[in-house]
Amino acid sequence: MQAQSSLKEMDLECRGVTKTFGDFTAVEDISFAIPRGSFFSILGPSGCGKTTLLRMLAGFQSPDSGDILIKGRSVLNTPPNRRPVNMVFQHLALFPNMTVAENVAYGLKRRNVDKHEIKTRVADMLSRVGLPDAGGKQVSQLSGGQKQRIAIARCLVLNPDVLLLDEPLGALDLKLREQMKVELKQLQEKFAATFIYITHDQSEALVMSDQVAVMNHGRFEQVGTPQALYYEPATRFVAGFVGESNRWQASISARDERGFRLQTEAGLSMQADREIGDKSASQNDWGVGKSLELFLRPESISVAPGHQALGTENAYQGHVESVLFDGARSQLLVRIEGALDLLNVSLPQTAEFRSIRKGDSVSVGWSSAQVQCYEV
Amino acid sequence: MSAVTGLSFRDSGKLGLLLLISPLLLWLSLFILLPHVDLVMISLRERVAAREYAFSWSNYTAFFTEPLYWRTFMRTAVMSILATALTLLIAFPVAFYIAKMVRGRFKALLFVLCLIPFWVSELVRTYGWMILLRETGIFSGLLQWLGWVDQPVEMLYNDVAIMVGLVYTSMLFMVVPLVTTLEGLDDSLIEAAYDLGGSHFRVIWDVVIPHAMPGIVSGCIVVFMLTLGNYLTPTLLGGKDSLWFTEQIYTQFITRFNWEQGSAFGMLLLILSSFIVWAGLKLSRQSFTRVMT
Ligand SMILES: Nc1ncnc2c1ncn2[C@@H]1O[C@H](COP(=O)(O)OP(=O)(O)OP(=O)(O)O)[C@@H](O)[C@H]1O
Ligand SMILES: [Mg+2]
Repeated sequence: MQAQSSLKEMDLECRGVTKTFGDFTAVEDISFAIPRGSFFSILGPSGCGKTTLLRMLAGFQSPDSGDILIKGRSVLNTPPNRRPVNMVFQHLALFPNMTVAENVAYGLKRRNVDKHEIKTRVADMLSRVGLPDAGGKQVSQLSGGQKQRIAIARCLVLNPDVLLLDEPLGALDLKLREQMKVELKQLQEKFAATFIYITHDQSEALVMSDQVAVMNHGRFEQVGTPQALYYEPATRFVAGFVGESNRWQASISARDERGFRLQTEAGLSMQADREIGDKSASQNDWGVGKSLELFLRPESISVAPGHQALGTENAYQGHVESVLFDGARSQLLVRIEGALDLLNVSLPQTAEFRSIRKGDSVSVGWSSAQVQCYEV
Repeated sequence: MSAVTGLSFRDSGKLGLLLLISPLLLWLSLFILLPHVDLVMISLRERVAAREYAFSWSNYTAFFTEPLYWRTFMRTAVMSILATALTLLIAFPVAFYIAKMVRGRFKALLFVLCLIPFWVSELVRTYGWMILLRETGIFSGLLQWLGWVDQPVEMLYNDVAIMVGLVYTSMLFMVVPLVTTLEGLDDSLIEAAYDLGGSHFRVIWDVVIPHAMPGIVSGCIVVFMLTLGNYLTPTLLGGKDSLWFTEQIYTQFITRFNWEQGSAFGMLLLILSSFIVWAGLKLSRQSFTRVMT
């Protein structure tokens, strides 16, 4: 009973979807469910199978095995023009031979909606995406961001159960992308529609999504909230792909109930807690000598000028190798005494660091709970 | 000396332009303008005595008063339009298949397949059809062998045979511009239309055809011109009764030595083809420059 009702609230569900091209498996055994009205992102590097997955949802390709359900009903045998999903293409694919209003009206016309109703719905949609006067314009007269909004309006006017977006911001310049990121999220909330958004840009995924799936080599590595992905990456790939990290190759030199003593190849020794990081392996089995990869976020490192006791399990002395100033995202490159590689440390935005210079000596430290360990 | 130095930079620029376009002008005037002016002049005279000519409209009035002439004329126009339309109907799916459905080596192969008939001369190509269609030909033999007919059937020397020959001859000139324009069509536009609920027919009508319009029109113009001016195919496949207007012109010039009448016919054919192309462009709302570039 419980399962029944929760299933009904799911707008879209994939069960073990697999797609191969010859010997190559583009999408492998992917399962997920997306609740109504949520913003779901699929994040992954180029060529990992994101577009292939999305095209299967839209109906342009059919999976070799597995099932796709929309509102609890299988759509495998429904052709794309009758699926209650719509797609915003990477290069938008607005019809160049039609005006903006004709573009938005296209889907309604194909559904034989009454002429007057089409007119009012198109006008209404255009004003909701903030382009009330664009109706009579040619597509070529629009700016990149405006085209973007029309492409989305053209789909949303049909009230699809699910809207699929394939890297729709990829063609825009950086500034506009930042702006459209916020606008897209607002649009999604305004329409309370279910969005599935594909991107290889982690910042897009983290900013906009309720849920993010990280994809690699045709599989989902982890599905979770942006916070979960960022703070508790389940696999080594996710830890490396989402956000910035200091990375080390290391091996276990000692272990106790609390955690591990680790020795990095670069000559750094540190303490790490158990049950942080790798979720796929059982950390209890890790013995002395096991090779691991460690990840540490730059912002979880405490830093203080000069020689100070930081009170963290791991504390070191070092000096500033260079200051990478980038406003709020400024970083210090710190060389720890006795270690080979440089440490990326977020620069605190406080007065005492205003005057920090190359060559200054600093104390750095981090708690053992911040070190993410993964099997290699 | 002073005259040369007196030339301003602007003038020398003009001179350069003149030098640049002079081959074009020469070509235009020598091979196009001159013959046509001559054609007009000849068509507007009448022989009154040996080597003595006078101005006259009689060659043109003869065309309108002699039913055979203008009937042949109209028939040629209608058949040419029909042949163009048929060629388009057959070539469009072929071009779409080549441009959108196949990739790589198979695509090149299909293209070559369209091209192969043009490696032999038109005469041989048409003769090929004669072998197939004549009374003692392959089709006739096949039908007898199947027992569907009990005596040889003549499939040559009728309008259908002419039409088959014309369409076959014109295919390549329609397929090439269509493939070129269709290749420029972004697949995601087709998918978007389909995704928004368009049926196969609507997607073709709303997205594919508007995009292919320049290719369609330029292909049609070329095919129409070629068909209208074709001599060999209608004569060989249509026989004596093919009633093709170029035949009339040929007859006037060569058989009857009536250059005046032939010239008038030539002019009329030129006017006709120009008018039909103009009407076609108007109907399809295309501009000549856009279509031909
Ligand atoms: N029709 C096809 N035939 C053969 N291989 C294909 C086909 N479509 C995709 N692939 C392969 O599947 C893999 C995944 O492709 P896909 O387009 O899904 O990647 P993507 O994650 O969208 O990448 P990008 O971020 O670069 O768009 C690629 O290696 C690609 O070469
Ligand atoms: Mg892609």
